[in-house]
Amino acid sequence: MKVCRRDFLKLAGVATAGAAFGGLGIDLSPTAAQAQLLKTRWAKETTTVCCYCSVGCGLIVHTAKDGSGRAINIEGDPDHPINEGSLCAKGASLWQLAENDKRVMTPLYRAPYTDKWEPISWDYAIYSIAKRIKQTRDESFQKTNAKGQVVNRTEAMASVGSAALDNEECWLYQTFLRALGLVYIEHQARI
Amino acid sequence: MGKSFFIDLTRCTACRGCQVACKQWKKLPATETQNWGSHQNPVDLNFVTYKLVRFNELEDKGGLQWLFFPDQCRHCVEPPCKMMADSYDERAVIKDELTGAVIYTQFTKAIEGMTGEELCPYNIPRMDEKSGVWSKCDMCYDRVHNGLMPACVQSCPTGAMNFGDREEMIELANKRLEEAKKRYPEAALGNVDDVRVFFLFQKKPDLYHKWAVAEAGIPSAPLTRRSLLAGLGAPFRRA
Amino acid sequence: MTNHWIDLKNADCVLMMGANPAENHPISFKWVMRAKDNGATLIHVDPRFTRTSAKVDIYCPMRSGSDIAILGGMIKYILDKNLWFKEYVTNYTNASFVVGKDFGLKDGVFAGFDPKTGSYDQKKWAFELDADGEPVKDPTLQNPRCVFNLLKAHYARYDLKTVSSISGASEKDLVKVYDAYAATGKPDKSGTIMYAMGWTQHTVGVQNIRAMSIIQLLLGNMGVAGGGVNALRGEANVQGSTDQALLYHIIPGYLKAPLASLTTLADYNKANTPVSKDPKSANWWQNTPKYMASLLKSMWREPDLDTAYSYLPKLETLSAKGYSWLVMFDKMLQGQFKGFFAWGQNPACGGANSNKTREALSKLDWMVNVNIFENETGSFWKGPGMTPAAVKTEVFFLPCAVSYEKEGSISNSGRWMQWRYRGPKPLGDTKPDGDMIMLIMDKVREMYAKEGGAFPDPILNLYWDYEDDHGEFDPHRVAKVINGCFLKDVTIGDKTYKAGSQVPSFAMLQADGSTCSGNWIYCASYTDDGNMAARRSKEQTPMQAKIGLYPKWSWAWPVNRRIIYNRASVNAEGKPYAPEKAVVEWDGAKWVGDVPDGGWKPGDKHPFIMRPQGHGQLYGPGTADGPFPEYYEPLECPVSKHPFSKQLHNPTALQFSEEKKAVCDPRYPFVGTTYRVTEHWQTGLMTRYTPWLLEAEPQMFCEMSEELAKMRGIKNGDKVTVECQRGSLWAVAIVTKRLKPFKVDGQTVHLVGFPWHYGWIYPKNGGDSANILTPSVGDPNTGIPETKAFMVNVKKA
Repeated sequence: MKVCRRDFLKLAGVATAGAAFGGLGIDLSPTAAQAQLLKTRWAKETTTVCCYCSVGCGLIVHTAKDGSGRAINIEGDPDHPINEGSLCAKGASLWQLAENDKRVMTPLYRAPYTDKWEPISWDYAIYSIAKRIKQTRDESFQKTNAKGQVVNRTEAMASVGSAALDNEECWLYQTFLRALGLVYIEHQARI
Repeated sequence: MGKSFFIDLTRCTACRGCQVACKQWKKLPATETQNWGSHQNPVDLNFVTYKLVRFNELEDKGGLQWLFFPDQCRHCVEPPCKMMADSYDERAVIKDELTGAVIYTQFTKAIEGMTGEELCPYNIPRMDEKSGVWSKCDMCYDRVHNGLMPACVQSCPTGAMNFGDREEMIELANKRLEEAKKRYPEAALGNVDDVRVFFLFQKKPDLYHKWAVAEAGIPSAPLTRRSLLAGLGAPFRRA
Repeated sequence: MTNHWIDLKNADCVLMMGANPAENHPISFKWVMRAKDNGATLIHVDPRFTRTSAKVDIYCPMRSGSDIAILGGMIKYILDKNLWFKEYVTNYTNASFVVGKDFGLKDGVFAGFDPKTGSYDQKKWAFELDADGEPVKDPTLQNPRCVFNLLKAHYARYDLKTVSSISGASEKDLVKVYDAYAATGKPDKSGTIMYAMGWTQHTVGVQNIRAMSIIQLLLGNMGVAGGGVNALRGEANVQGSTDQALLYHIIPGYLKAPLASLTTLADYNKANTPVSKDPKSANWWQNTPKYMASLLKSMWREPDLDTAYSYLPKLETLSAKGYSWLVMFDKMLQGQFKGFFAWGQNPACGGANSNKTREALSKLDWMVNVNIFENETGSFWKGPGMTPAAVKTEVFFLPCAVSYEKEGSISNSGRWMQWRYRGPKPLGDTKPDGDMIMLIMDKVREMYAKEGGAFPDPILNLYWDYEDDHGEFDPHRVAKVINGCFLKDVTIGDKTYKAGSQVPSFAMLQADGSTCSGNWIYCASYTDDGNMAARRSKEQTPMQAKIGLYPKWSWAWPVNRRIIYNRASVNAEGKPYAPEKAVVEWDGAKWVGDVPDGGWKPGDKHPFIMRPQGHGQLYGPGTADGPFPEYYEPLECPVSKHPFSKQLHNPTALQFSEEKKAVCDPRYPFVGTTYRVTEHWQTGLMTRYTPWLLEAEPQMFCEMSEELAKMRGIKNGDKVTVECQRGSLWAVAIVTKRLKPFKVDGQTVHLVGFPWHYGWIYPKNGGDSANILTPSVGDPNTGIPETKAFMVNVKKA
């Protein structure tokens, strides 16, 4: 991937804002605002495409190279021919989607008739889900229909989702579902 | 010389990319809001909201119009707020000579007993109740000094927000005004000579927002502190 | 979209109807405004004055659900005033085809209707065939039974006065819209339609779009720059997820899902491979056996094609009444399903009739819920009206990575497949969806290998080699399989392709099992030259630059064609009808510009290559509800009759008879409609948790006119209750001049609207989903629910 970002504005002879006010001993950020530019300069740059509507706007993600390894800034990609750097409110907020303290960080389980979530390990989650898939499939599998035609399907499992997945994930997901024999397969495109 | 914004309101769709892009670049927190019967939120500018799109509906013989006004500091050529602030602490408000950006520092807490509308003919600055420090848009001087557009301008999809050398922006504004008048006979530019953020209005400025332009030069207005301040520059001009 | 986002700038007229692009596809407005700068007329036809309406030249308010009246009126206007593009219509559409004598329309119902099943026998709508089995044609358009004359006769009823009376749009506004849009019928002019869920979410959804397609064909607007039929898709990858067939009725690449009655691959191919004896018809679907074989091989390389076909699960029907969304949740409520995956979707808020959906979830034994955030689906058991101690469903919640914490491609509305890279790693213990799918299937395979079970063959024989060197999901490996490779050495013409090499294009796919391709329309996206979706070159020819084509930026399906049906933009000599914005042109030896719809010489093939006869369909005998769009009211509506026929509703609409509908019910006097705002997205799951967006649109609201507010004693900002037969919710009233009552057949009809972005789980005082109010009724072709027009009451809370 090549990021070739245009410089919009040229200000001869001045490299940083600091130089303009150097030595005044002034904090130029009266609020919580941070001096972003110094950080983004040392960050890893990757391109992405917005995950909201289907216009497909390009963005640049700045990821800190040290410490947290987290995204520190996301803005429109000026080189992208569709959005030319621009973003709507949703696109402009994309940084807050990942850097968000409300994200669920670990698999959870809700047991029947209980009123709470419990954290579980990935291993336990994957094992338990696979076990239920197999049991349900084994119990419900139809080799043939009422007319005796081969159908090789299960009508005891259904799936919805997802337009939020990447193409490769969607394709793999349909392969997974159809190999299991699911026929009730739907997603956002239906609503 | 320095830089200027030209904001063409005939092109704004109120996507609020600018409002959020500002917060994103500066990592300004969200304020808690409620729906108050309007899509405009937060209701007003505040200590952590430097850019706010205001929404106003208008119905007259020209039909229904929904007016959008991305409000922000005008970065006055001769900033009245700086003149006032200097009397408290000369370090409170500084001007970046290269861009013309008017920048508030932590020493704004020295400003006492003032309201936003007393400090500013456009009623922009907001004080943090806890610290007493004032804040507002700083023209993304950090980006501008490094060859980038201010965050709000870069985010704008339709060409409503423009930024560049002041002369270029004035030229663009005059060109757009001529075009806009064909469709909107009342189209006008606001305070071009006084400020570095000037708007092209399709209707009278006060229909967008009470403080859209400074009052000075409007003869019927009483001599308030606000118009006195605005009088420091040239009057609102209808080209 | 037949065209793409940048192409909007080439339009001479942009019609936005059934869509609100300034709010829901905000960056599209960059290109809409560019069109305006170039002199285009912008039109918005919508029940509400929105941020889109604020920027257009012509705003035409209309009652939600009356689109076919307005579009039918436009068809009549174009025909009456002779504004159609004669050469185009005669040569490129089925205007000249003669329809069989069985076809007819009586009292708003087409021939062949069976009231018992609520469906049509489409054979009654067939063309009259000649000895070769090809439709009889009359290029003079004189035959009274040719499509053109049937079209004229059908829309003769759709006069201005009638259209205005039922739609609530004024005659003055209608004429403005018709005049401006019909002006694009000139050969060098083009008009584009931007539509979205405002058209699809009706019981006449498909016919809304069919009506516009007829207009586009009459005006010669298909295949041209600044034209096309452009669905503004609602999600970043809903184009891609549809292409990859996460839907019951298709398998990847829009191949039909196999039916139980098609017991062998040969049966399947026979049923799904159309035949044409017209040498000028490319009849592209004649390649079905190659695409099907390559798809089967992508999933099961062993043992053989026929066995692989038997592995695919078979359906009893492809009708929306079989397996589609609303039916699925109805059957879930009846207890049919034990297991359920809600993967990257929040049906408890997103599907119509949320209360029914939420109750249905409680009938499950287990659910897997994959999401970034806690949501109303995974946590339904503690939602409003639920008693956790009474809900058996066990739920596994798997936290996923966000889009820029992983790598892969998505396809935008303009069919651009764009590659995304990983910025930060997945936060905490979250995982990309691809890893989860892989891990679950790995475990299932392991269990079947060890324990056996019901017919393990499709699972154990599955080609499942998608791990990278670190044991993680590798999107490149999948992308390569989606493109496809040669499974043995294959010689085509004078070139031999080595086994293992990538298939360069779908033209090389084989029916004998010697190639695999997970999705033929994506073949050419990841070749031996690399990952085409990742390209970032803006190189273009001056001709391409003129219309904003970037052929080396990302990749578009099919075969990097940016404007599909583009052979319709030129005459029989290959000369563009609009030379100033040519899409393709024959330079005497080859095509230049965009990738043409097939490389044949000009005039050698009809342009609509995906149709068996190669012609654009003014007459569409393949739909479930009639070959011409006909006016029907929404299943819940404020009138008891309409002026076009005695048939009030679409007789084939998908519905559940036991669920009552409000028709002229005084308890529910107002038309309700749902929509989105710029600041939120879908059920709000990916925006409600984003503080900056929640700050801008924090709570559920209900927009209403000043007249309605006065009548109900509601002030702006008041809390109101919106209720219908299915449920009720609270909202903050936004009393606005932007909504106005409609005059419908002499009566005043009020319309209210609300977003479907909120849900009870977060934020706590944000409100709940508007889908609590929407009915479980749907389009007979697609099954898409009618969430854009239904009946409610509003009162002060």
